[in-house]
Amino acid sequence: MKKRKHFVVCLAAVLAGIMLLGSAGAEEKGLLRTAIKGDITTMDVAKTTDDYMIPMNVFDRLFETRVVDGSAQVVPSLCAEYKVSEDGLTYDFTLRDGIQFSNGNPLTASDVQYSFERLLAIANQNTDIPLEVAGGQEVMDKKADSLSGFKVTDDTHFSVTLKAPNAGFLAELSSPAMSIVDKESMTDGFGTDPAAMIGTGPYIVTEWITNDHYTMVYNDKYWGTEPTVKKMIVRVISDANTQNLMFLNGELDLIDLKNQDGAIIQSQYKTGYADRMVSVPNVGMTFLALNESNEFLKDVRVRKAIGMALDVNTMITALYNGDAVRENGIIPTGVWAHNDKMEGFPYDPEAAKKLLKEAGYEEGQVSFEISMDSTASGTVQLVGQTISQMLEKAGIKATVKSYDHAAWLDVRGSGKMDSFVARWGMDYNDPANIMYTFFGSVSNTQHRSLNYPDEEIIKRVAAAPAIIDDAARMAEYQALEKKIIGEDAAWIPLFAEMHLYCRGERVESFTPQWAGFSDFFGIDVVLKD
Amino acid sequence: MLRKKEKQIVAAFEHRAGDEIGEQETFGVLMRRMLRENKLAAVSLLVIILMFLCMALAPMLTSYGETDMDLLNRLQPPSGAHLLGTDEGGRDVLTRLLYGSRVSLMVGIVPTLLSMVLGALLGVVAGYRGGLTDTVIMRLADVVLAFPSMLLAMVIMYTLGGGLFNVFLTLTLMNWGSVARIARSETLRLKESEYVEAARSIGVSGWNIIRRHILPNCLPTLIVLFTLNVPAAILTESSLSFLGLGIQPPSASWGLMVNTGRQYLYNAPWLSFAPSAAIMVAVLSFNFLGDGLRDVLDPRQRKQ
Amino acid sequence: MKRLVQALLVLLLVSLLLFIMLRIVPGNPVAVLMGEHANQETIDRVTAELGLDQPIHVQFFRYLTGAVRGDFGTSYSLGKPVSQLIGSAFLNTLLLSLAAALFAWITGGICGVLAAIRKNSIADRLFMGFSLLGISMPVFMVAMILQYVFAYWLHWVPISGTADWRSFILPAIALGWNSAGSIARLIRSALLDILEDDYIDTARAKGLSKTSVLFRHALRNTMLPTVTMMALQFSALLSGAVITETIFSINGIGRLAVQAINARDVPLLQGTVLFSTALVILGNLIADLLYKVLDPRTRKEA
Repeated sequence: MKKRKHFVVCLAAVLAGIMLLGSAGAEEKGLLRTAIKGDITTMDVAKTTDDYMIPMNVFDRLFETRVVDGSAQVVPSLCAEYKVSEDGLTYDFTLRDGIQFSNGNPLTASDVQYSFERLLAIANQNTDIPLEVAGGQEVMDKKADSLSGFKVTDDTHFSVTLKAPNAGFLAELSSPAMSIVDKESMTDGFGTDPAAMIGTGPYIVTEWITNDHYTMVYNDKYWGTEPTVKKMIVRVISDANTQNLMFLNGELDLIDLKNQDGAIIQSQYKTGYADRMVSVPNVGMTFLALNESNEFLKDVRVRKAIGMALDVNTMITALYNGDAVRENGIIPTGVWAHNDKMEGFPYDPEAAKKLLKEAGYEEGQVSFEISMDSTASGTVQLVGQTISQMLEKAGIKATVKSYDHAAWLDVRGSGKMDSFVARWGMDYNDPANIMYTFFGSVSNTQHRSLNYPDEEIIKRVAAAPAIIDDAARMAEYQALEKKIIGEDAAWIPLFAEMHLYCRGERVESFTPQWAGFSDFFGIDVVLKD
Repeated sequence: MLRKKEKQIVAAFEHRAGDEIGEQETFGVLMRRMLRENKLAAVSLLVIILMFLCMALAPMLTSYGETDMDLLNRLQPPSGAHLLGTDEGGRDVLTRLLYGSRVSLMVGIVPTLLSMVLGALLGVVAGYRGGLTDTVIMRLADVVLAFPSMLLAMVIMYTLGGGLFNVFLTLTLMNWGSVARIARSETLRLKESEYVEAARSIGVSGWNIIRRHILPNCLPTLIVLFTLNVPAAILTESSLSFLGLGIQPPSASWGLMVNTGRQYLYNAPWLSFAPSAAIMVAVLSFNFLGDGLRDVLDPRQRKQ
Repeated sequence: MKRLVQALLVLLLVSLLLFIMLRIVPGNPVAVLMGEHANQETIDRVTAELGLDQPIHVQFFRYLTGAVRGDFGTSYSLGKPVSQLIGSAFLNTLLLSLAAALFAWITGGICGVLAAIRKNSIADRLFMGFSLLGISMPVFMVAMILQYVFAYWLHWVPISGTADWRSFILPAIALGWNSAGSIARLIRSALLDILEDDYIDTARAKGLSKTSVLFRHALRNTMLPTVTMMALQFSALLSGAVITETIFSINGIGRLAVQAINARDVPLLQGTVLFSTALVILGNLIADLLYKVLDPRTRKEA
């Protein structure tokens, strides 16, 4: 008897102790806590096309793309002035005065040249943009040490000559890939050692515990406006539900809702936190890719029938609570040259059935596979399943099959995937980023399992960036879009979902990155006092 | 947990050497005794039979299809139309539970059965033959047993890919090792018994000895082991599906339902509770049945 | 020492099996690593750089020679040496496992002992009821509920991570839950057997109180099976850790293995599974040795 009483008393004491110690103290002023699903692989932008948070915050670029008056504009950053030659091939840049790296080294034009050449020398990722500079291929093939098209006049003046005119060049320079690094202090530890990350940006990396978290702290040598966020802790929380609980519990100051299901967002966030929701369009789109090598899908009538069998508006309402924008072409909303007059396929399952009959197919004859990536989010999985169900009502048998990530990439890369639900996010504000990737060359369209056959059109897509006149270029892109989607139904555009975030109590305001990246600029977060 | 049970079972049968042959009560008598004396085991047997009925009659018990989505009625609480509510795709939870029982129960039973057969054969052969056969088979069993179960399952699923058939294969490959060991140690003891020695001296072939004397006497142990391994298999499948490595959507399995329901614990708790309760009921039923069987087949109890 | 050789042989076979299984999988991990926006030429080039286009026996040999030196390759997805990743993760898993084992033994032990003493009473049924919950609830269910009720709803402990000792409480309970259930049942039945044994009655007849009989004789004799159980727990704990660490975001070996699978990170997966298996084999060796030392039968013979 006594023993049991003692036991109960002890237990009560322990629990009380836990509760008392458990009361959270006030959080450090200027601290921002946020979470990511998986750890970054490297801090070096030359070796990744996904991990942009540290490059965005620790480094600057010649230009930035920021949202001004509701539209994305390219604004000068490290570059103070520029001039473009008549033929569009040569750009003369002037750097801002007095900018220092976080170790005190001054920013000079040779740092910019080094940053370009470094991407080519490492030749791992993000080589597309520096390759446009004259002499780029030679540097990448290790036949030359430096870019013949890059001329440094003095510490703050330099010029860049391209191989071919590209009206989107300045937009490309704002991509995180083109971050400017310090030539002098470059070491082998760059990308893995926080101390080696020397940039001109507002933050420095103080700590990176692999698979656990990384910490960034304000760089007091920063040339721009001082941000309210003085310290950012980014934690690796792989479980979406745990992230959710942490935010609701006050352990996160900002949560990226892309990993959360629409129903949770609707029932929890939009009700309890409506005034703290932040949304930005994901500049890009979700579409149903169709493989024109497939025996059924090679007939344009079948593809159009598929387009007419899908009730995209219901998908948007039911799966995304209306937080998505209908897309009808290739160039997404928010990108220059987007055509908001482009008409999509009307939802008409009866007409779809008729079209199938015309093509010679009875109900149930057309059958193919929709290949889903098993690591895709729950909502995207639901999109795949919903498409399958909707197609069935029109007499098309589209079976959903789940592949694990690497196998999925493999099959798609081999050009043999029948169809899949694809998502593309824009890297920079120019139509070439999406159009070229999918339709810019025969190998591109094969590696994305589209196998678009019209080589004339493909040639035109590849040539479009060279059209200097803005109006002419826009007309050409829109004409290409009308042909590829409107006439040829090479893919079925669906929607671009909004990227939703929620601010915690301590955050006054948050402006996401223009394209709806999950990575954001620390300077775009304003904390309450 | 398996090794603990292993030792318990072997220990329970330690005294059997004398009395297997001859005065064995028939299995039927033993079963009836168990059902009379052990109410818990009786109820469990009933529950298991009920679950099987649900599994077999699923299409008749529900009007909804397994994957019928109803996007405008997502996450509805239990109501007249949907007795257990709807899930994130608007599918009827009760239907998913019934069809999911097919997966979860089959995944508990079939691979366990297969691994029993495989393990028993290999173990008996190893024990009877001895020598190199014994060493090779036992080393293989050691290799399989050295892996923590989840990690082994994960690696095999990774190699084979997701899906029901591969889950069957994985669970079979995981479990044969402990069965083989127990079968082997049983065989080693039985090998020394007078009856077997006598049979050998008159020239009865190895296979016939195994078939007529050794295997039947291992059977009770194996039956108990079977009922105790089934819940472990059910739990492993649900953990695999929880991690996204087992059954793939849109098919249903209880583990998968718990995992997808986890996000909605706040506003739709029935999504996780229903399949969790189902898992618990299945696991408990098989455990009680196994305990009950062990009690009646254990000679120590019988002596009293 | 024969056992040691056997153990090493098993370990070698395990690593060979693992290696083969992981390399025959279709799909190029480099494609996964480089992401959506990479092009085919880069992928091919990096594949060659990493030596992934070599024949399989060459790759295995390279792996073995590296492993002997302590080099288990570099993780594709995290970019760091596998041995370094496992080293830092192992500490967390170890702490978690120790805490879980502590919870399992204390709770299971108390429940088992109290149930045995008050056999067939309401307390007995209650404790055994708890133990049933212990063995039938899957790990993820326990973890889910604990996290929701105690961290989120009651705010008593943090939801995730390893910031301080309090973060380990819920994961330890979740991980130890199953074991606590089976330990309770084990101790109860073992104690009942002993309590009903003849020599205990003799001791009681001599006048010793029930409690001292309990502690001195009964418990000492249950020590043998229970202590050997502890070493064998490794396997079960590592299995459970996979799920627990994922839900509570603890950077341990279990979560590392899950991330490795999701990222198709073969070196990391290989390293974590090999490491875990080596631990289990070590645990079994220790258990066998302990059994030999502690078994009164073998002691008497010696």
